[in-house]
Amino acid sequence: MRDAPLFLRPRVEPPLASLLGDAPFLHSLVDALGSPLNVLLPEVVAENAERFGAVYRRHHLAGRVYFAHKANRSSSLVRRLAACDPAAVGVDVASLGELRHALGCGFTGDRVMATGPKDREFLWLAARVGATVNVDSVAELEQLAGLVREYGLRRADVLVRLSGFESQDGTGGAGTRMLSRRSRFGTPVAGTDEVWAALERHADSVDLVGLAYHLDTTGLEEKGRALERCVLLMDECRARGLAPRVVDIGGGFGTGYVEDAGEWERWTTALSEAVLGTRPPLTWGGHGYGLRNEAGTVRGAAALYPAHRPVAGPGYLDELLSRPAPVLGRAPATLLLEHLHDLYVEPGRALVDQCGLSLARVLEVRPLGGGADRYLVRLGMNAGDVSLEEHGVLVDPVLLPRGGPAHEAAHDGPVGVHIVGNLCLEADLITRRLVFLPRLPRVGDLMAFANTAGYVMDFHAHHAQRQPSARTVAVTEEDGTWHWCPDEDYWPLTRLQGVPA
Amino acid sequence: MRYDSITEAIGNTPLVRIDPSVHGLRNIDLYAKLEMLNPFGSVKDRPAWHMARPHLENEAGGGGTVVELSSGNTAKALALLAGMHGLKFKSVTNRMRVPEIKELLLLLGAEIEELPGRSECLDPTDTDDPLTRFHQALSEPGSTHLHTDQYFNPRNVEAHAAGTGPEIVKDLDGRAPDWFVACVGTAGSSTGVARVLREHDAGVRVLGLVADKSDFIPGIRTIDEVHQVGLFDPATYDSLAPVTSQEAIDGMLTLIRRCGLLSGPTGGAAYQGAVRHLASVDAELDGTGGRRTAVFIVCDRAESYLSYVRQRRPELLGRARRGHSPSALGDEEIRAQGRAVGVDDARRWIAQGEPRPLVVDLRGPHAYAALHIEGSVNIVDELFEELVRPGLPFSKRTPVLLACPVGEKSLRYAALLSRMGHPDVRSLAGGIVAWRDAGAPLVRE
Repeated sequence: MRDAPLFLRPRVEPPLASLLGDAPFLHSLVDALGSPLNVLLPEVVAENAERFGAVYRRHHLAGRVYFAHKANRSSSLVRRLAACDPAAVGVDVASLGELRHALGCGFTGDRVMATGPKDREFLWLAARVGATVNVDSVAELEQLAGLVREYGLRRADVLVRLSGFESQDGTGGAGTRMLSRRSRFGTPVAGTDEVWAALERHADSVDLVGLAYHLDTTGLEEKGRALERCVLLMDECRARGLAPRVVDIGGGFGTGYVEDAGEWERWTTALSEAVLGTRPPLTWGGHGYGLRNEAGTVRGAAALYPAHRPVAGPGYLDELLSRPAPVLGRAPATLLLEHLHDLYVEPGRALVDQCGLSLARVLEVRPLGGGADRYLVRLGMNAGDVSLEEHGVLVDPVLLPRGGPAHEAAHDGPVGVHIVGNLCLEADLITRRLVFLPRLPRVGDLMAFANTAGYVMDFHAHHAQRQPSARTVAVTEEDGTWHWCPDEDYWPLTRLQGVPA
Repeated sequence: MRYDSITEAIGNTPLVRIDPSVHGLRNIDLYAKLEMLNPFGSVKDRPAWHMARPHLENEAGGGGTVVELSSGNTAKALALLAGMHGLKFKSVTNRMRVPEIKELLLLLGAEIEELPGRSECLDPTDTDDPLTRFHQALSEPGSTHLHTDQYFNPRNVEAHAAGTGPEIVKDLDGRAPDWFVACVGTAGSSTGVARVLREHDAGVRVLGLVADKSDFIPGIRTIDEVHQVGLFDPATYDSLAPVTSQEAIDGMLTLIRRCGLLSGPTGGAAYQGAVRHLASVDAELDGTGGRRTAVFIVCDRAESYLSYVRQRRPELLGRARRGHSPSALGDEEIRAQGRAVGVDDARRWIAQGEPRPLVVDLRGPHAYAALHIEGSVNIVDELFEELVRPGLPFSKRTPVLLACPVGEKSLRYAALLSRMGHPDVRSLAGGIVAWRDAGAPLVRE
């Protein structure tokens, strides 16, 4: 077992699986549009939004699912979401550019939430179009109120983003103190009096719609505590005469990248062993992904995205809403409903789960010397085009042979390869991991990285060394045939534009 | 036996033979070392006292805080020991997964800090885990923290090398057992006992049990996690094998129901892992006339793990509830028997009814306090469920209007009360949400 290939095969669900099954179509796309190439499935993002909606309905909750635009730059996903039920789906923009893009994709201002660091122009346009502003600090609130007055804008809807839920008295009535990572965003809960006072002072120009948080953690317990704290703070607002009605719990619902729990467990165990030196390295240069060997003991933390997630996306939201809250004892869904609060969420990665893949052509296959049967595979893409390493996501690419299945027999058996990019740079590794493929690739084959629409395909893409950056296309399946068009030409109409009629 | 301090009662635990008809091993005598009979309830009493003693005796009454990374028995023992010496105890953990243990620690006066979960938006350049930061904080100048450091402190191992190990040899009439089986948590007990046993007899085999990687067994680490333990040395063990929580509960049930040993899941895991592993050894001994001895550790007791069992084997704790329950009603019955009344009619009924209805708000008290229908009574649903179980809690002459957030739960209860014989109980259609949306008044008193 020990020397069995350590696969980390991707989780691929029906529409994406069927697309991966059509190798000739994908080859023809790359032949025409070049390598690397991003492929998006806009229908899937709508289905995912519907899955989040189903969780809302199960708990009788009202409120919107806002797509965190930062997860993907493309137009097709945003346009497809704009065509969803306006009462159920919105978009969360984190820059002036994203706001302009969302408006141009068909979102009306009332379906837009402005988050993140904001400059004056961003604030002005958000207020101008009636977007909800997720306010980070008192200073930002003052700035927004000033703009509304100065330019005679309509009263702006605001959410106040809170942070620092570790309570002052240590336990907050929950018995134990839950530590959280420090965040650079949001107003600490300890300083809310100042926020309420500012809201009252600027009541003519800003209207408190609700309270928000976003915790960078996978921990349900931490998020559940913050959610309950918001419910309690909403009450504090009401007691002061403010009338918030929304609790916005941010995103971070997660995605499962690896299909099989056993593969993930075997690989992570093997990583510890490799760091301890009890088995050969699993990575280029023996990189430990944050783990290190101190006198025979493993120290540090693996900086890896938990690639196999039994509960992720809508399921994670469901679980978060269902587990009893520490102070009031009722499930967060019940608390929200009973207090007549709406729920907002801002999933990014989870909403674009299974929505895309990144393709690259195999340009070179070369044996690595040094005894072991290992190869170097160079692709027509670089690490910026599929930023697995930047996000700690580990998953195997799917090999799509040039010649179709008939050609496959020639090479037999799994082989370990290091996948490198097209930059003249030692560090340009698509993944630091030694990847096992079912057979040795050949020049001209395609490698498909599945499920890359969330943060992976274009978040870190760049123009260094004037290498081509990926084009992006949108595809849909009709009667078993795949159709495509450039991402920028996609509109959510019945037939894809750009398809010859 | 008379003692000046409860700490003198630590150690000298019994070694009890498991009846062969229970484990079915024909050629092996299996003994349980009952560490659960230590005064604070677990095997951790020994290392906790041995590690903390020098600190506690120096610092007694000094107002410092004993700190340990523990989610269970070590924390429990240290909390009690610290309390006895006038010190505080703080447990830092990300493994606090058994609610009763958490509550028990709070009862003992421990302060608990839970470490944050993993980052969702990963920063791969940030490779220091929260524990590294914890250690940095402890070594800051001026810190009054006394860190017992159970995963690295050699006194953890010594406690067992001086106590547990020699006791086993003594109770086996000066012989070491052929097999020693222990669950690996801090590796303290297995390392310390193994050292002593091997000094007696180099042929002793040691089986270390770890938790199945995707599973959780209190006090046992997974194969990856043991590599993070400073005291863990793979050479201590002849073999390491995983056990699942289901096996742990199976073993625990056998020890409890057939052997009279009130073992928790960790002891259950040790028993089950021991029997599983020794079965093949036993088969080879058949017909050779050879006899072997094996010892496993029963780490702690069952009582704190009821929710652990409930989560994994709810049927073991299940009991049928009697009486009237809304969950007994089918959708058909709810539609047929539940009467609903819209917001406008409900408002008229409340204002002009003869007699006026009693309005019962089934939401939680905090939500009720924030906003409610004027004149309504708050009986939270879980309480209401208990209230109606034995019989009608209202006079049949008092009409009742039930309200919940969306009118679903209230309709269910309206149907139930009707079936129980109440002539006029109605559910507010659409609930408080519809009431608000219709612009009807809600008050905050």
